[in-house]
Amino acid sequence: MTERITNAMVTSSLLNNLNSSLASLERTGEELSSGRTILEPSDNPYGASQVIDLQSQLDGLSSYATATQDGISWTNTASSALSSINGIVARVREMLVQAANGTNNQSDLNTVAQEVEQLTESVKQDANTQYAGQYLFSGTSTTTAPYQPGAGDEYQGDHETISRAIGPGATVTISGDISTLLGNGEASGDGKLLDTLRTIAKNLRGGTAEDREALGSTDLTKLDANTETLRQLQSVAGSTTDQLQTALARNEDMQTTVTESLSNTQDTNIAATSVTYANEQAAYEAALRASAKIVQESLLNFLQ
Amino acid sequence: MSIPTLQGLQTALSGLLAEQQALDVTGSNITNANTEGYTRETADLQTNLPITIPATNSITGRGAQLGTGVSVGNISRIRNSYLDAQFRTQNSALSNASAQAEVLSQAQSAFNEPSSAGIASQLSTFWSAWTSLADSPTSEAAKDAVVADGQQLARTFNQLSAQLSTISSQASEQFNSLAGPGGEVENYASQIAQLNHQIKLAEEAGQQPNDMLDRRDLLLDKLSSMANITVTEQPDHTDTVTFGDAAKPLVEGSSVNWPQALTEKAGGQLGALLGLTGPKGALTAVQTSLDGVAETLAGTVNEHLSTPFFSGKTAATLAVAVTSAEVRASTGKAAGGNEAALAIAALRGGVAEQDYAGLIGQVGSDVRTAKDDQANLQTTVTAIGDQRQAVSGVSLDEEMTNLITFQRGYQASARTLTAMDQMLETLIEHTGTVGL
Repeated sequence: MTERITNAMVTSSLLNNLNSSLASLERTGEELSSGRTILEPSDNPYGASQVIDLQSQLDGLSSYATATQDGISWTNTASSALSSINGIVARVREMLVQAANGTNNQSDLNTVAQEVEQLTESVKQDANTQYAGQYLFSGTSTTTAPYQPGAGDEYQGDHETISRAIGPGATVTISGDISTLLGNGEASGDGKLLDTLRTIAKNLRGGTAEDREALGSTDLTKLDANTETLRQLQSVAGSTTDQLQTALARNEDMQTTVTESLSNTQDTNIAATSVTYANEQAAYEAALRASAKIVQESLLNFLQ
Repeated sequence: MSIPTLQGLQTALSGLLAEQQALDVTGSNITNANTEGYTRETADLQTNLPITIPATNSITGRGAQLGTGVSVGNISRIRNSYLDAQFRTQNSALSNASAQAEVLSQAQSAFNEPSSAGIASQLSTFWSAWTSLADSPTSEAAKDAVVADGQQLARTFNQLSAQLSTISSQASEQFNSLAGPGGEVENYASQIAQLNHQIKLAEEAGQQPNDMLDRRDLLLDKLSSMANITVTEQPDHTDTVTFGDAAKPLVEGSSVNWPQALTEKAGGQLGALLGLTGPKGALTAVQTSLDGVAETLAGTVNEHLSTPFFSGKTAATLAVAVTSAEVRASTGKAAGGNEAALAIAALRGGVAEQDYAGLIGQVGSDVRTAKDDQANLQTTVTAIGDQRQAVSGVSLDEEMTNLITFQRGYQASARTLTAMDQMLETLIEHTGTVGL
C-alpha cells in the first residue's frame, strides 16, 4: 500500500525544501560577499583555530620585520661611526709615521699633537653616535653618552648587550660596548685607543728622546693593535647587518608562505563558489516555480 | 410472517441518516484540514440487524434474512499511538539539541572570532607592542602603547567573561520560567490532567471524545519538547505521563505532581539548559578555559618582569596593574635594556595563545556538533511527522472523493424512498377501487 499523501505534507515538505535551498543560497552568498569561508568557528572548528595561529604568525612576522629593519638601521649607523673612527685612526697613523721620522721640530710636533687631540675628540664624538635618541655604543645605558667630551676618558656606559627579535625565538645582538676599543683613557693605562691617542699626543709634546723613540715604536705598535680591534668590531657590525638582512629576506618569504596558508584556510575560492552560487540560485528558482504549480493542484479544480 | 409494509421506507431512511452523518464527518475533516493536532475521522458504516423471513418456499423450505439498512457504528479517529511515542522521543532529543545549539551559538558569537576585534587579534597587537618597546625601550610612545594594548586586551577578556556569565544566567532564567510556577510545564500538565478527567467521564458515558483526545495528544507533543516523556494509557482512558528524570509521574489521572527536581538527564529543552549551565556543562567549561587562558597570560607575562604587568587571575578580573611610566623593557638593567620586552614579545604563539586557539576550536566544534545533531533530528522528526500525517492527516482530495461518494449515496437513498413511496401509492391509492 502506498503511503497516503496529504496536502499538509506536500506544503510542509515544499516549504522545508524551499527553506533549505534558500539557506544554502544565503550561506554561499555570505561566503562570496565576505570573501571568507570561516565566518564562525563552527563553520570549521579546526580551521578557525588554525586561522588564529596563522594570523598571529603573520602579525608576528610583520612585527619581526619592523624590528629587523630597525636593527639594520642601527647597525648601519654603528658601521658608519666605526668607519669614521677607522678614518681617524688611519690619519693618526699617517701623522705618527711622519712625526717619528725625526725631521720635525718641536713646534711641528706640537701642531701634530694638537690635531691628534682634536681627532681624539672626534673619536669620542663618533662613539657618542645616536640612533633614534639612543646611544649606540654604551651597552644598555642608551640614555647615557659613552664618553664625556673633554679631558675625561672614562667609559660611562655598561657592558650589557641589546638585541633585536628577528623571528620566533631568534634574536641578534646589535650593540657592542665600544669600551673594548676605546678603553678608559690614559689614566687607566689599558692600551686601548683613547689611551694610545692620549699617549701619542703626550709623546709628541714631550720632546725628549724617549718620547720620539716611543712615537715610532710602542705608540705605533699600540695603534696597530687598536686598529686590529677596530677591524674586528667593524667585521662584527658588518656580519650583523648581513645576518639581519638575511633574516629580513627570509621573513618576507615566510610572510608569503603564511599568507598563502591563511588564504587557503579561510578565503573563499571565488570561481568555485560563484559556480555553486549560480547552481543554487537556479535550483531555488526551479523549486519556487515547481512549488507554485504544485500547491495549486487539487481535485477541487476539476469537480463540477 | 411477511415483510412489514413500511420496512422499505425505514431502510431508505437509515441510508439517508447514515449518509448524512458521513457527510458531516467529511465536512468536519475538511474544515479541520489545517488544524494543528487534528486527527482525521471516518464514519464507520455498518449494516442494521436483518429481519428474518420465515420459509415461504414449500419446495426448499428455506427462509431468508432481509437487510434493514445501514447505521453509523462509530466515528473512528485514525491514529497510530506507536508513531506518537516515536515522535515524542525524537522531539525531546530535537529540542535538547536546539537549545544547546542556540545557547552555544550565543557563546560562540560572544567570542567574535575570527575577526579583528577578538581576543586573538588583540593578543597579537599586544605582542607587537612589546616588540616595538624592545626596539625603543626608552620611548614613551612605545610604553603608552604597551599599556593601552594591554588594557584593551584585559577589557576584552572582562567583557567576554561578562557576556558568557550573562548567557549562562539567561539559560538558568529560561529554565526557571519554563519549569517554575505558572510556567509551560505546569500549564501543559494541568491541561492534560483536566482532559484526563473529562475523557474519563465521556468514556464512562459511552461517548468517544475524539476532539479531547486530539487536544491531549497535542499537549503531550508540546510537553515532549520540554523533557523526555513516556505516556501510558490506563484502563480508564486517562494518560499517566512521566517527565524527564522526575521521581513521580508528572500527570496521574486528574492530578499533577509539579514542581519536582530535574537533572541534565531529563532530556529536552530543560535537560539541555540544566546541562549547559551545570558544573560539568559546556558553558561552564568555556568559562573555565577562558579563565585559564587569562591566568596563563598574566603568569607568563609577569614572570619576565619585576613589577607584575597584569593583575587578576580570571578573565573577569584581568587588569593592567602598571602605568606607562612604570613599564620597563628590562629588569634591573639600564634604560636601554630590552631583554624582558624581547622575552614577552617571544610569548607570541605561546601557551596562552595556543590555549585560546584550542578554546575557539572547542567552542566551534561544540556548536557544530549541536547544530549537526539538530539538523539530523529535525530530519527525523519531520519524517516521523510525515508518517503521522500519512496516517492521521486530512487529504482534501480524499475528502472530496468521500464527499461525492456520500452525496451520491444520499441521493440514491432518497431515490429508494421515492420508489417505496410510489409503490405504497399504488397500494393505497389504486387498489380496492374496482367498480368505483
